[in-house]
Amino acid sequence: MAPRHAAISPLLALGLLALAGVILPLVTGDSYYLDVATTIVMNLLLTMSLRMQISTGQLNMAHISFMGIGAYTSALLAMRAGLSFWLTLWVGALVAAAFAVPIGAIALRLTGPYYFLITFAFSEVARLIFNNFFVGLLGGPSGLVEIPPPGPLLSVAFTGKLELYCLMLGLFLLGAAILVRLEYSRFGLAAGAIRQGELLSATLGVDVLRYKLTAFVLGSAMAGIAGAFFAHSHRVLHSSDFGLEPMVQLVIFTVIGGVGSIWGPVIGTVLMTVASELMRELRHYETLVFGLVLILTMLFLPDGLVSVPSRLVRALARTRARRGAIGVDVAT
Amino acid sequence: MSLSLLVQALLNGFGLAMAYVLVALGLTLIFSILEIINFAHGEFYMVGGFVAYLAFGVWGLPYLVALLGAIICVAAAGVIAERLVFRHLRGKTLNAFIVSLGLLWVMQAAAQLVFGVQDKSVPSPFSGIVRFSGVVISVERLAVTLAAAALIVALYAFLEHTRTGRAMRATAQDADAAALLGVNIEAVSALGFGVGCGLAGASGALLAPLFSVSPSMGALPVVKAFIIIIIGGMGSLPGAVLGGLLLGALEGVGTLFFSSAAVNLLGFLMVIAVLLLRPRGLLGGT
Repeated sequence: MAPRHAAISPLLALGLLALAGVILPLVTGDSYYLDVATTIVMNLLLTMSLRMQISTGQLNMAHISFMGIGAYTSALLAMRAGLSFWLTLWVGALVAAAFAVPIGAIALRLTGPYYFLITFAFSEVARLIFNNFFVGLLGGPSGLVEIPPPGPLLSVAFTGKLELYCLMLGLFLLGAAILVRLEYSRFGLAAGAIRQGELLSATLGVDVLRYKLTAFVLGSAMAGIAGAFFAHSHRVLHSSDFGLEPMVQLVIFTVIGGVGSIWGPVIGTVLMTVASELMRELRHYETLVFGLVLILTMLFLPDGLVSVPSRLVRALARTRARRGAIGVDVAT
Repeated sequence: MSLSLLVQALLNGFGLAMAYVLVALGLTLIFSILEIINFAHGEFYMVGGFVAYLAFGVWGLPYLVALLGAIICVAAAGVIAERLVFRHLRGKTLNAFIVSLGLLWVMQAAAQLVFGVQDKSVPSPFSGIVRFSGVVISVERLAVTLAAAALIVALYAFLEHTRTGRAMRATAQDADAAALLGVNIEAVSALGFGVGCGLAGASGALLAPLFSVSPSMGALPVVKAFIIIIIGGMGSLPGAVLGGLLLGALEGVGTLFFSSAAVNLLGFLMVIAVLLLRPRGLLGGT
């Protein structure tokens, strides 16, 4: 079992995150900042759930497709069946999870680069279906337009940017609380064990496939929620929203932040989004700088930005040790 | 349906597939030696296209010189990329993937800054068509197919019959054992990366007159190459050729019956089927 203090600090961190999220709209009412903040919070739900899947050792390139399944399900139920967003949101998540069960069961039979590639193939199949098949239903290459915004709830109208931001923040905090709870539970321990030695964990009685499938399905449900929110806040859906490019963006946010810690994706998503907004003026240079940052970060900080503090502490300890013990060879 | 129509469809499919096999061979060679998936491989193809555009289309050098120039320049770029970046990531699949994405962006953005985003057309070095009992094929496509086949044979001869080629295969099988037996695996992996990228550059230069060149031209062939090497088996060179032939046949014949989107879908479904039934690919090791 994890020591007691280990369970207090994540709660503290989650509280700080919630506090920051609540304070933000009080500091600025600017609609551009609110838009960026809403996108960040939506991406946080996606990257934190993606990181939970990676924590069992494998990168799922089809994460974005489950966001797409949630988005299309919720949008279609609202548009064609006239159901309320407050219902379709959860149906979207359930349908994404329902698709995740067989797809996960098939894909998780593979490991390493093969898993990566089969999930990539699944994501392309999903994107091609969104774009080219069932055109009457899914809208084909022109996508879905005029998706209704969330209806009023408890006499609050969800039409303004502030209300949408608060809605996404609430959904994210719910998801983050579940992920934190899982990380510091038997599930988190098992996931770590599987990541470090899959065969060994299996021989010690960990049901590897069950944990991996649980992570896959739960993560997909969270992606479905983010997708449903995306559909009703953007009010337009297009197959390219769920293609390789946005998926790659999620992977970069997650890995640059660091997959070793549950807070890695938070750091990566916030910093990278802010950086890319700041560099927007640079046009082609933005991609150039972004690419270089990516390469250098992976070369010099292979465990991501989240490892910077512990690296600094270790470097400091090393210099202290060297000073304290002159003449003694420091092994590390 | 007449037989000649079927043969025509197969030839159309195979013609382009051979050029994509070159991209796939490079990708699979790099995977076998460094155990990394290089998503930026299509960008080396793109550089090959631009070298051909400059040398043949702008400076008016002979096409063969442009092709050789493309191979050499892109191979050199590959060696540089391996020495500066990828050698540090041997076997680290996830990190190498992110780094290759970064490289993809850097190369695309650099190409956009130098050449602009507009497509550039490259004049065709060959003209005319060949007719053969009801089947028609353009000389240009025939030349691409033959040149690609020649390069595949050259690669095979190099890997099978030269000392360096043997060292490369040994490193691919087991890098530690190869190093113990005196193979300079650092040099081999740099050379392997260079050869792999050079093949992509050759493919880009070969296809430049058929399609126009643009900074984003690498996206399509790299996806095709991935399909090819998964079907054939990652790291298997004969597998890449077989995978290319199968994909070419599927795409050539598939377009007779289905829309292009459905053919693309079939390609990915084939990938999923192969990964499930034989994860190491049709000709991959066990």
